[in-house]
Amino acid sequence: MSTFQIHYFASATSYTGKQTERLPAPLPLDQLFPLLEARYPGITAAVLRSCGVSVREEYVDVDGEDARTVVIGAGDEVAVIPPVSSG
Amino acid sequence: MSTPTPPPSEPQTQQQQQQQQQQQQQIPPPQNQEDPLPPHLNPTTYPRTTTNPTLNTHITLTYAPLDATAALTQVSSPQAGANVLFLGTTRDTFGARAVAQLSYTAYPPLALKTLAQIAEAAVRAHGLLGVAIAHRLGDVPIGESSIAIAVSAGHRGAAWRAGEEVLERCKARAEIWKREVFVDGGGEWRENRERDREGALVG
Repeated sequence: MSTFQIHYFASATSYTGKQTERLPAPLPLDQLFPLLEARYPGITAAVLRSCGVSVREEYVDVDGEDARTVVIGAGDEVAVIPPVSSG
Repeated sequence: MSTPTPPPSEPQTQQQQQQQQQQQQQIPPPQNQEDPLPPHLNPTTYPRTTTNPTLNTHITLTYAPLDATAALTQVSSPQAGANVLFLGTTRDTFGARAVAQLSYTAYPPLALKTLAQIAEAAVRAHGLLGVAIAHRLGDVPIGESSIAIAVSAGHRGAAWRAGEEVLERCKARAEIWKREVFVDGGGEWRENRERDREGALVG
């Protein structure tokens, strides 16, 4: 089965109990949050709403134009980016 | 253009893979066997660095203690009349709660890019002679440095201003997360958007 790798950080790691996992590819970007919501009920409101998302190391706009045009492909690397706290 | 230096584990030797596997066994789960520890959480794949020789910017992500002198050495030059060093050190309290331990996690592909952009923008905006940004990852004992910023300029005004600007932009944007573990139990992922530069709650 073709898959992509998704990395979680901070609050997203706490909610999923995972730092990374593989999910089935291809996946249209606008299906990413619904898929995560199905696997982790409540995650959209609790975590994802305040997170950015990167695909192949570039930020994508999950609510904008990218949602319809970007497809996550086999072997791609996706990251869920919660509000940051460096320094 | 920035020139990313590949992490030392790529390509991996068999010995390094064995070390990696041993390390995974030593680090307690949340992992299951289907999802092995990704390289960006594996300390043996650090330090990771990015440099821009033209603009004299130096970015480092490391699990080792930060070397403030090394950061200054990277940027200082005979043309520089002002060299500003900022060290962010871990504090033993959050509000009234005693903090036992702090730990940082990064997503290096984005964090290195973001920090390089911040450093390069500062050189251009303030006419600097160099900027070094180093961030420590993993557990950082109380009182030790989690971030080091060194800024070099011809004169002090630009160096002071740029030093603060670089730090504030790092805290706002760099893809790095801090977890505080409290003495009275429990831990929390911190969000920089919660506090301003004086430590006061925002909003």
